[in-house]
Amino acid sequence: MEKSDVRSLYLLAAFLVCAYSLPFLIGIQFGTVRADEQWFAYLATVVFAGILQGGVYAMFAVGLTLIFGVMRIINAAHGEMVMMGAYLTWVAFFYLGVDPLLALVFTLPIAFLLGVALQKVLLNAVVGQPELTALLVTFGLGLTMIYVAELIFTTDFRTIPYAPQTVQVTRTIAVGQNKLISFVMAVSISAAVYLFLKFSRLGKAIRATALNAEVAMVCGINVQRIYLVTTGIAVALAVAGGALVSIQFGFNPETGVVYTLQAFAIVILGGRGHYVGALIGGLMLAVLENLVSLMIPNGTAAVELAAYGLMIFVLLIRPGGLMGVKEA
Amino acid sequence: MATHEHVRNVLLLAALAVVLAVLPPALSVYLKSFVMFTMMYVVLALSWNIISGFTGYTSFGHVAFYGIGAYTCAVLVADHGWHWISTLVVAAALAVVVAVAIGYPVLRLKGPYFAIAMLGTAEGTRVVVTVWDSLTHGGLGISFPSVENSLETYYAMLVVMLMTILVAYIVGHSRFGIRLNAIREDEGAAEVLGINATAYKLAAFALSAMFPAVAGGIQAYKVLYIDPPSVFFVQITIAMALMSMLGGKGTVIGPVVGAVLLYSAQELTWVNFPTAHLIAYGLFIIVIARFMPRGLIGFAIDRGWVRKGMVH
Amino acid sequence: MGPVTAADIALDIRDLRKAFGGVRAVDGCTLAFPRGKISGLIGPNGSGKTTTFNLLTGVAMPDSGQIFYKGEDLAGMKPYQVFRRGITRTFQVTRVFREMTVLENMLCVTALNVSERVARARAYELIDFVSLTRLRGEYAGRLSYGQQKLLEFARALMTDPEVILLDEPAAGVNRTLLQDLLAHIHGLQERGKTIVIVEHDMNVIMNHCARIFVMDYGVKIAEGPPAEIQKDERVIEAYFGRRRG
Ligand SMILES: Nc1ncnc2c1ncn2[C@@H]1O[C@H](COP(=O)(O)OP(=O)(O)O)[C@@H](O)[C@H]1O
Ligand SMILES: [Mg+2]
Repeated sequence: MEKSDVRSLYLLAAFLVCAYSLPFLIGIQFGTVRADEQWFAYLATVVFAGILQGGVYAMFAVGLTLIFGVMRIINAAHGEMVMMGAYLTWVAFFYLGVDPLLALVFTLPIAFLLGVALQKVLLNAVVGQPELTALLVTFGLGLTMIYVAELIFTTDFRTIPYAPQTVQVTRTIAVGQNKLISFVMAVSISAAVYLFLKFSRLGKAIRATALNAEVAMVCGINVQRIYLVTTGIAVALAVAGGALVSIQFGFNPETGVVYTLQAFAIVILGGRGHYVGALIGGLMLAVLENLVSLMIPNGTAAVELAAYGLMIFVLLIRPGGLMGVKEA
Repeated sequence: MATHEHVRNVLLLAALAVVLAVLPPALSVYLKSFVMFTMMYVVLALSWNIISGFTGYTSFGHVAFYGIGAYTCAVLVADHGWHWISTLVVAAALAVVVAVAIGYPVLRLKGPYFAIAMLGTAEGTRVVVTVWDSLTHGGLGISFPSVENSLETYYAMLVVMLMTILVAYIVGHSRFGIRLNAIREDEGAAEVLGINATAYKLAAFALSAMFPAVAGGIQAYKVLYIDPPSVFFVQITIAMALMSMLGGKGTVIGPVVGAVLLYSAQELTWVNFPTAHLIAYGLFIIVIARFMPRGLIGFAIDRGWVRKGMVH
Repeated sequence: MGPVTAADIALDIRDLRKAFGGVRAVDGCTLAFPRGKISGLIGPNGSGKTTTFNLLTGVAMPDSGQIFYKGEDLAGMKPYQVFRRGITRTFQVTRVFREMTVLENMLCVTALNVSERVARARAYELIDFVSLTRLRGEYAGRLSYGQQKLLEFARALMTDPEVILLDEPAAGVNRTLLQDLLAHIHGLQERGKTIVIVEHDMNVIMNHCARIFVMDYGVKIAEGPPAEIQKDERVIEAYFGRRRG
């Protein structure tokens, strides 16, 4: 590690400490921090719920980071793919009467194929182009998805009532059953993808391509096929994320934008293209968001600011993120 | 470029100015506002092009400056009783200050990182404006005292557009401009050849922030009501980028042509196909970016109608 | 040739160091390039020549050491600051501005306070010199590699610099153009310029340099006029003795 590298890591750590203490300081200012037993129970619940939520964030952020790592493309439609996953689940639940988790069995292959098609039709043409091209293409795709969704589903907020009971985890911490289930699902799916990337031939080829596409090509890896698989997996992860989001929160066609930005923030925080980084980043963002919403009045706006703020400061302090991925 | 070409181009611009100046009496209210908004998009696309086309730093959050301009005008007029024209000067100055303050750290980032950081900056600015309700009235937005202003705003926008075109033209045919190009092509090599990239990028960024702020101010006064989602709308940034790309980014004429074409096309589809137009727009973005990233000017250059480069 | 005295030294490099992670690319290198002469900087691949140029021109930050030029230490300056003091360079792998025309590549180098007329006259003259006249309005990215090398060389001369660092100027340039190039380099030297050439073509080095510096593993291992260097045991050893992959 070079000296400047170590220094930026310390700076980043210092920044994160500040970022996490800020909600407490503001909370003290506004009197939302009470330091009694009940409040500590809230705090514990919020942190625990944050971790659960972070697992889901991390999962769909991995999709974004995979595409970015392998092709250097920012998929500005990633959040819309999450939104698509939510609607697919909703349709399966209300019209076909399929259990949201069971629905994954057929939504994920569909999503994978959609990803492959997306890669063939659009993304192959923008690999290696200036960033604006990819940004515009995927943004246009996102817009199209939003408006098609509005045409079909209107802008009404939808929810899926699923496993609404609360579970008493410890004496003080109680969370929704749906949150626990989502977390378990997200962790299993993330772990499966991780094992796939780590140990399978194809997974290794994907990682090799992310490190250096040219070298991978020389080593006989069919880079075109890697791109197809990568985008397939990425879209599948987004759709899985959508399914897990849909059983916890309301959604409408425009909610995707928020997920895109959260995923950006997570990818930047963890280090682009870095799998474990995305997992850590996901947990950190979700916990921070929950702390903010617990302690800062005018919650939603402040929660959004948390993601943007985290993203921008990490970019400025250490563009490689926690994992110190070197600038391309 | 030979002097006579500059003279010809300036005369062309003057002719355009005269035509647009005498036009309003012949225009319906609707057409007047249509021309005004077309001019506004010329301003936006040309300005975006200075930092992103000439200098190669893709600003994916340029709407921030437009929004700042709109809010400066609205707050000063509605809450402090200023004359709206004088607020435009403040809007321009504020945009330059913000551009330098943000640009100094953010312009160190490259490629997609800069693009994302600017996207975050714009969204962050929107959230701050929403939260800071003692100044901005938050999510409620700000209304202006209702007045008939279509002629005033038309002429104001005309003046701003002419200024923007002139500035872009001067930048685009000067060594300042090709030094920006050099930064776009290879920043490291440019620095080795004596170009203080940090200073040039900041100058380009400030310049590209100024006119959108003024346009935002005029627009706010024209529509008489603004709120954060409408003036910090991501799609305004997209429009700037897409218009530049459609005409040909990194040129002077490209963004002008792109803005006129795209805004007209949008207006036509919007009027005729109110539901389908948004979907069509999304698809249109995809098609332009996918199939003609070099824009119309690229076709013209390939066929030898237009010379390569900005300086000849 | 007699010993070099302080007054004759253009660039005085002392104990320069730069490491990339574990790789000590330049490892305590001390070099004194004579003023108004053509010097050769040679050494096996990876011996730190390009890195030395990068440190001299502010492209990379030295970990330690000094670079004295006209009594000033250049170490740690920004590239454009070094350039303004009259030091310019070319790159081993060409870095022309690809989507700018040949003329624009030349013009962007001159500072804005130089008049347009003067800048153009100079650009035209240098473009003619490297025989790119017909390609003046062509994108630099469309030029052949050899032509790009020539453009880069011409570009480096736009501001009439004092010190010119050339990183493998001959690679990919055809023989006749190379002779012209060398003639021009001599012309520059006769006008008092200091030139340092990194080159693998030993004919170029041995026939055109007044003094040769040899690097290996980031340090200078030998220095002297061509005739001495050709016989130097350490140099032969560095080049042929033990080679790494
Ligand atoms: N930016 C860099 N990052 C990491 N290693 C580098 C970098 N630049 C040079 N090196 C390493 O430093 C050593 C010297 O390289 P260089 O100066 O290019 O040698 P030369 O020009 O003599 O062939 C090599 O081992 C090279 O791999
Ligand atoms: Mg070298």
